[in-house]
Amino acid sequence: MLGELLNPYHLQIVSFVLINIILGISIYITLSSGQLSLGNAGFMGIGAYTSALLTINFEVPIILGIILGALVAGIFGILIGIPALRLSGVYLAIATLGFGEVMRVIFVNWESVTQGAIGLSGVPHLGREVFKTLTAIGFDPEILGLKNNQFIYLIVVSILLLINIFIVWFFVRQNKSRVGRAFAAIKMDEKAAESMGIDITYYKVLSFTQGALLAGFAGALYAHVMAYISPADFAYHRAIEILIFSVFGGSEVIWGAIFGAAFMTIMPEALRFISEYRYMIYGAILILMMAFRPQGIIDVSLLQWFKKIIKFRKGTDHGTGIKKRH
Amino acid sequence: MLLEQLINGITLGSIYAIVALGFTLVFGVLGIINMAHGEIFMFGAFIGVIVTSVMGLPLWVAFIAAIAVTAVLGYMLERIALRPLRGKQGVSHLAPLISTIGVSILLENLSHHLFGAGNQPFRNAFAEIQIQIGSITIYLVQILIFVISVALMLALSYWLSKTKAGKALRATAENLETASLLGVNTKRTITTTVIIASVMGGIAGILVGMAFNSVNPQMGLSMGLKGLAIIILGGMGNVKGAMAGGLLLGIAETLIVAYGDSGYRDAVAFITIIFILLLRPQGLFGKNTAESGR
Repeated sequence: MLGELLNPYHLQIVSFVLINIILGISIYITLSSGQLSLGNAGFMGIGAYTSALLTINFEVPIILGIILGALVAGIFGILIGIPALRLSGVYLAIATLGFGEVMRVIFVNWESVTQGAIGLSGVPHLGREVFKTLTAIGFDPEILGLKNNQFIYLIVVSILLLINIFIVWFFVRQNKSRVGRAFAAIKMDEKAAESMGIDITYYKVLSFTQGALLAGFAGALYAHVMAYISPADFAYHRAIEILIFSVFGGSEVIWGAIFGAAFMTIMPEALRFISEYRYMIYGAILILMMAFRPQGIIDVSLLQWFKKIIKFRKGTDHGTGIKKRH
Repeated sequence: MLLEQLINGITLGSIYAIVALGFTLVFGVLGIINMAHGEIFMFGAFIGVIVTSVMGLPLWVAFIAAIAVTAVLGYMLERIALRPLRGKQGVSHLAPLISTIGVSILLENLSHHLFGAGNQPFRNAFAEIQIQIGSITIYLVQILIFVISVALMLALSYWLSKTKAGKALRATAENLETASLLGVNTKRTITTTVIIASVMGGIAGILVGMAFNSVNPQMGLSMGLKGLAIIILGGMGNVKGAMAGGLLLGIAETLIVAYGDSGYRDAVAFITIIFILLLRPQGLFGKNTAESGR
């Protein structure tokens, strides 16, 4: 029964969606403190290469590799984030764009380590490694009525899903905390926030580093889900794709980035004829969104409208005309 | 040969300078970084390929065709991606940047479909004509590129400083509202600026085609990023800084290729950006103001 429902191809797409959601959140976090980073593809590459090289060359366990990959990207985030504080707006965007390009050039040219433009193949696959450990202790996917490769992809999707739930939970909590309010204040007006006693240096570096860490984390996961990485995976186009997730879905709320990532990943797969024109459509979307709905599809008022609808369905609102403020 | 390399560097640098001038004009007047400039440049180069190699017409026709096409592209960029955002309430200052990124992605992939993804040769009659001075070889193309670039820079400087339209442009750059109050048609000035910047990009495209004999859809991106590096090097919105920055980058890149690792050629520009932004955000030639880099 379960075996017929699970198509490895669909599972693969779901795992891409989940990785892209992490990337979408990574740019959302930096945007939430008013900083636009176009270097997230570079951080993603750092995470991916770190984890891939550690697991291939030193046989580090995947879990440790992914964590180290994310940490290295995060450290780079601090290193870039502190000096980049002097910059804001478009200048930060350009500096981070330059950083991404420098990383790509390094990945291409440092051939003795990264194997240049050919890329790294034979990166240990997350699903297969877990599967190997499970079969070693005597587990057989037949119990669930699944074929081996279905089971492998199912493992990947479930691990990614758990990670996603944790990340979304964490950042939803953070948004309601002192940190989230500080980010929002800095985004609204940096000088006013500073005069209210918010340490803008600390919070800006924090949000930049969180973004870098998440991007590196997503990159490391990407390496172990694809089992192959090349410098082209982390070039300018990736940076733009990540930007699209947030700009299209909505850059004010975390759900926007999540929706954007999911929609933008599924759309080219669902509409095959579109995937050839994918980047042209991306371009058109960016232009149209900026002209007509710069805050993205999902914004605060849309979310509130949703909440009201749900409340109404549940029957707490009887249409007495008295509206509760949320 | 150092001298030959310097000549190569100056040729490349003068093209960079023209590309950077396009960026700097738009930034000076609108305060916007036009990420689509590199792609407009690439379109100019492809028009050159079509006119000279495919249709077999002389080079000057290619220049006219490229100027016409890039002028139209510039006008459309202003109408579609920039004007709708201007003066709108609550639009973030990042919106025009994102919108021009959209135009750049759109144009790059449009050219993939129109012209194919591969390299296109750029044939011209005098590609091989060279002049021997002592032990140094100079190609006629190099001289031509240098002369056209210098002429273009001089024309632009004259236009900006002496003509009425140029004064209107500088007034608009200084303060849009005040210029508007003083009777400058700012809407028209902005459109003119974007068109002129795009045309400069288109001309630079043909010059690059002549210099390297090959044109591909990806060249817009790398040239665009280098143009950004140059205007940051020279100071945002600074015309003379853009020229000097372009020459500097051209020479630096040529020397890296000649005496260092050619693979890192593209990184020179970006490492420069990062260092300049961090150490001297107002640019090498920019004035030191409290707001620069902010």
